[in-house]
Amino acid sequence: MRFLGFLLRRIVGIAAVMIGVSVITFAISHVIPADPAVAALGDHATDEQIAAFRSEYRLDRPLVEQYVTYAEGILHGDLGRSIRTRRAVIDDLVDSFPATLELSFTALLVSMLVGVPAGVWSAIYRGRPPDFVVRLLALAGGSIPVFWLGLIVIGLGYYQLGWFPGGGRIDAFVAPPPPRTGLYVIDSILAGDLNALRSSLLHLVLPALTLGYFSTAVITRMTRSSMLEVLGQDYMRTARAKGLRERVIVLRHALRNALIPTVTIIGLTFGSLLSGAVLTETIFSWPGLGRYATASAVSLDFPAVLGVTLLAAIVYPLANLVVDLAYYWLDPRIQRG
Amino acid sequence: MSYRRAPILFVIALLIAAACSQPPPASATGSPTPQPTAGGAASTLVYYADVSDLISLDPAVAYEFSGILVVHNAYDTVVKFEGADLANIKAGLATSWDTKDAGATWDITFKLKSGVKFASGNPLTADDVVYSLQRVIKLNKSPAFLFTDIAGIKADAIKATDASTVVVSLPKTASAQGFLSILTFTVGGIVDSKEVKTHETAGDFGSGWLLDHSAGSGPYGVDHWTKNSEVLLKANANYGGTKPALSGVLVKHVPESTNQQFALEKGDADVARNLSPQQIAALQGKTGIATTSGNSLLLVYLGMNATVKPLNDVNVREALRTAIDYDGIIKDLLKGNAKKVQGIVPIGLSGANESAPFQADVTKAKALLAQAGQTAVTLDFLVPTGQAPGGVAFSDLAAKLQSDWAKIGVTVNIKQTTTADLLTTYRAQKGQLVMIYWGPDFPDPDANVGPFTDYAAKSIAFRNGWDDKTIAAKGRDAALITDAAKRTTAYKDITEYVLHNGPYAVLYQPTELFGLRSNVKGFAWNPMGWLDFASITK
Amino acid sequence: MAFRPTRVRARAPILGEPLNVLAIAVIVVFAACAVFAPLIAPFDPLVQTLGSRLAPPSPEHWLGTDQLGRDILSRLVYGARISLVIGVVVVALAGIFGTFIGLVAGYAGGLVDEGLMRLTEVFLAFPPLILAMAIAGALGPSLQNAIIAIAAVTWAVYARLARGQILALRRREYVEAARSIGASPMRIIARHLLPNAIAPLLVQASFDMGAAIIAAAGLSFIGFGAQPPTPEWGVMISEGRNFISTEPWLSLFPGLAILFAVGAFNLLGDGLRDVLDPRLRRAG
Repeated sequence: MRFLGFLLRRIVGIAAVMIGVSVITFAISHVIPADPAVAALGDHATDEQIAAFRSEYRLDRPLVEQYVTYAEGILHGDLGRSIRTRRAVIDDLVDSFPATLELSFTALLVSMLVGVPAGVWSAIYRGRPPDFVVRLLALAGGSIPVFWLGLIVIGLGYYQLGWFPGGGRIDAFVAPPPPRTGLYVIDSILAGDLNALRSSLLHLVLPALTLGYFSTAVITRMTRSSMLEVLGQDYMRTARAKGLRERVIVLRHALRNALIPTVTIIGLTFGSLLSGAVLTETIFSWPGLGRYATASAVSLDFPAVLGVTLLAAIVYPLANLVVDLAYYWLDPRIQRG
Repeated sequence: MSYRRAPILFVIALLIAAACSQPPPASATGSPTPQPTAGGAASTLVYYADVSDLISLDPAVAYEFSGILVVHNAYDTVVKFEGADLANIKAGLATSWDTKDAGATWDITFKLKSGVKFASGNPLTADDVVYSLQRVIKLNKSPAFLFTDIAGIKADAIKATDASTVVVSLPKTASAQGFLSILTFTVGGIVDSKEVKTHETAGDFGSGWLLDHSAGSGPYGVDHWTKNSEVLLKANANYGGTKPALSGVLVKHVPESTNQQFALEKGDADVARNLSPQQIAALQGKTGIATTSGNSLLLVYLGMNATVKPLNDVNVREALRTAIDYDGIIKDLLKGNAKKVQGIVPIGLSGANESAPFQADVTKAKALLAQAGQTAVTLDFLVPTGQAPGGVAFSDLAAKLQSDWAKIGVTVNIKQTTTADLLTTYRAQKGQLVMIYWGPDFPDPDANVGPFTDYAAKSIAFRNGWDDKTIAAKGRDAALITDAAKRTTAYKDITEYVLHNGPYAVLYQPTELFGLRSNVKGFAWNPMGWLDFASITK
Repeated sequence: MAFRPTRVRARAPILGEPLNVLAIAVIVVFAACAVFAPLIAPFDPLVQTLGSRLAPPSPEHWLGTDQLGRDILSRLVYGARISLVIGVVVVALAGIFGTFIGLVAGYAGGLVDEGLMRLTEVFLAFPPLILAMAIAGALGPSLQNAIIAIAAVTWAVYARLARGQILALRRREYVEAARSIGASPMRIIARHLLPNAIAPLLVQASFDMGAAIIAAAGLSFIGFGAQPPTPEWGVMISEGRNFISTEPWLSLFPGLAILFAVGAFNLLGDGLRDVLDPRLRRAG
């Protein structure tokens, strides 16, 4: 019962945030000095065509009415029509979201697989060379512009060395697997298509490494600091005094507790991955949400920008909700609060 | 104890979320499951370009460069231009045509070729032509104005008099020659009416289906269009003409020119469409790579608002024109990647006036200003952001002009805005000096002369507040002249007049540059923005 | 509980850690470039010498020239000025506005607090770059609009931090004491709460300086921020990207500049955190 109350409150909270996000984005997109009809139709359009376009996309109605129509539409799953692609925004989003999800997910996986051990290792050897190396790399990861890194990675990995493909999700001459989840790797596995699996994995490497560097750095630092904190605590000293092997202590007690803050920030890093995806997708010709968002913003396609922002803004609270649900289920103590 | 499970649980949760994010079935979004290309890499041309402007593959809707490129190869038109030529109209699906004066109208009678089959196997009949042209008008999308405004026809002006003859009746105010040029354009693409009618829903004339399918008689047909990703064309088995050498064309959406260049060098791309002049220069001499150029019909020009003082004085306008260092712009900023054109009709169209008398003459410009009684002039200069055609940043061009004009005492304040923002201001006649470019809608000099001279057309002349009724009338008359030689003379007069009296300073006509693998042959870029893929081999 | 002094001695301990000294030194170098750019830069960053385009690093041009013959080192130096201004302005705008909101929310409590915190939640839900793009796209591409956009995505964190601090501190004895003698809320906030609350805000500010520089460069890269020929580091990387295969130094050096500048601010942030508030200390 209490669980339901918790869930309900969170969902209402998310809904409130979504409303706020939609209002703000709507306000922003209507502050534009330029006429989106002109942006869409171009220099050659006659005044009649512009007027017809404005009428078709209801750009000539008062702002509040436009918003209300829009909000009503959302409740029916209709996010309006993209001014640039002339398709339903929801269709555009559905087409591009899986690509970004796959890339972000892979980057997150890489971050955890690299970041957690690195953080642990760095904490254990604190003050010694491995610690400095890890800390330096983590510092670089938090300070490097992702688009610059992408240029370097693609220049080296594709152009100079030719080890990896230079963009896209899959080879031009390999058929993508039948869409079940929209994630090529998973769909290839489900379809048993090894060729597609190999191709999509190879295509994921460079962009995932680029996108994942920042979150790897964050997770490394987080893991390291919480490991250090745990390693210095009383019960650790007691455990060590009891004479258990150092390695066993680390693995069983410290890691477990150090992971809590790390898991906490996974939701946060997922949100930052979406931001980073914008630039990464541009450089790696990745047909995802980020590239769609950029193209939409450039062409003043505000229904599309609204759609992307709404979708992106729901991911972070949703991810947090999933994490919290996991904790809630695992730790009865939290259920009280 | 149980916290170790948390990260794993989260991972599982995400996987479940991903699995539940299954996209709706293909029919809902309209994008079919992509198929592998037939024949693979060796027999497919891989064309890397920025096709973010692709909206529809329906010939009655496609009006953007990317759409034109694809549609041109999937559909035939009744008359056509061959290769890069834009002067001689040749037979397409019509073996002959003739224009008759029918009193109130010009009647053009087209006799259709026999034995032509669409990709579906259906034979071409006059009904298909009538259906195709009528649906353009009825759908009233972007290119429809070419029929309804320029040619001034309504749907009932197109008739089939028998199974292989079509008659179109133009009002006397329209140019028959112009209409024929329009028909060579993708808007005149003939669709398989039987096939399309089976996919009509809610009176859309099959436009929803034709968005990413094709039903034409051209050398290629659309296999699939994965939005934001690629378009695949496959050779049309029922094509009546010379079969194309390459069985497939893959147009891949790669907006980053860096990626295009890398892919070209690595051999993953056969053609790179959007390389800058610097990249082209860097590719010279590399093994396996060739570069080629094509003509474009774009003109990068300056608009001067003739209602704003002191631009209302023709001497001031002439002074501004005279002060510009055109050669410097073309040689240094564009690396020679443009033609020196100062008239309003681009080279490649009949009626182009190759006279380019202006080149930076500070003394003369100052004298002209003095004549107008002006010494220090200050103007607002509206400039778009981004790259100008030809591969130079608009801001670089603007900076150069600013420094050229400073030499004669004219100060300009550069304001950079997005093109959309600029156009909004420009269209409202609120600009003072505006830098922008223009391309003709159809390959006929009237496509430029009309907008540049006719205030009533509410196009370029209107935006610059230039209401010169004499030249507007001359332009309208010239459009209707049927004798080719007389027409050329008329346009020479008009362009000469506009050169010195109009509110324009045409800077250059850019050249299109392409990077190719050296084994790609038969590449001939048509200035209207298309390519005959069927003549390409590799 | 003993009365804690409100003043925090920050300067001596921060210089004790060599990494902090390094960070401060790097920042000072960049700041010097920013302030004394006309004196330090060997060439005018906008002057084009079309004769020596795309020249590799040489004694004359230490970092080479770009595609218009402009000296890269000079452009980097002037770029430092732009980037530091971006960082300072963004952090000032976002920090002041956000802190103010947070202070109000924390002190007022009740519905005001609830409402303001919902507002921050909304802004925090946006992925930063996407919101920045929307704002910059709507207002038009320029450096000023990029700064506004980045500030808009940054302020919410300060509001939350400030509010959190206020909530924690407001029950302290000296605040009760001040209130009991009739001090006004503004006075309490300014003299007692703010100096103690400021520690995490300063730490955040240091990290945000770096984040703002990177965000601005990212916006310029996709065409929404500073425009050419402004020698902003992101613009330089963007202009240089077509030459990566043959003249990589065009994009390489501005990227390194960003890396070092932002790295220094991140290091400084770490150092500040260790020194200013032991409770926040993460690693020794």
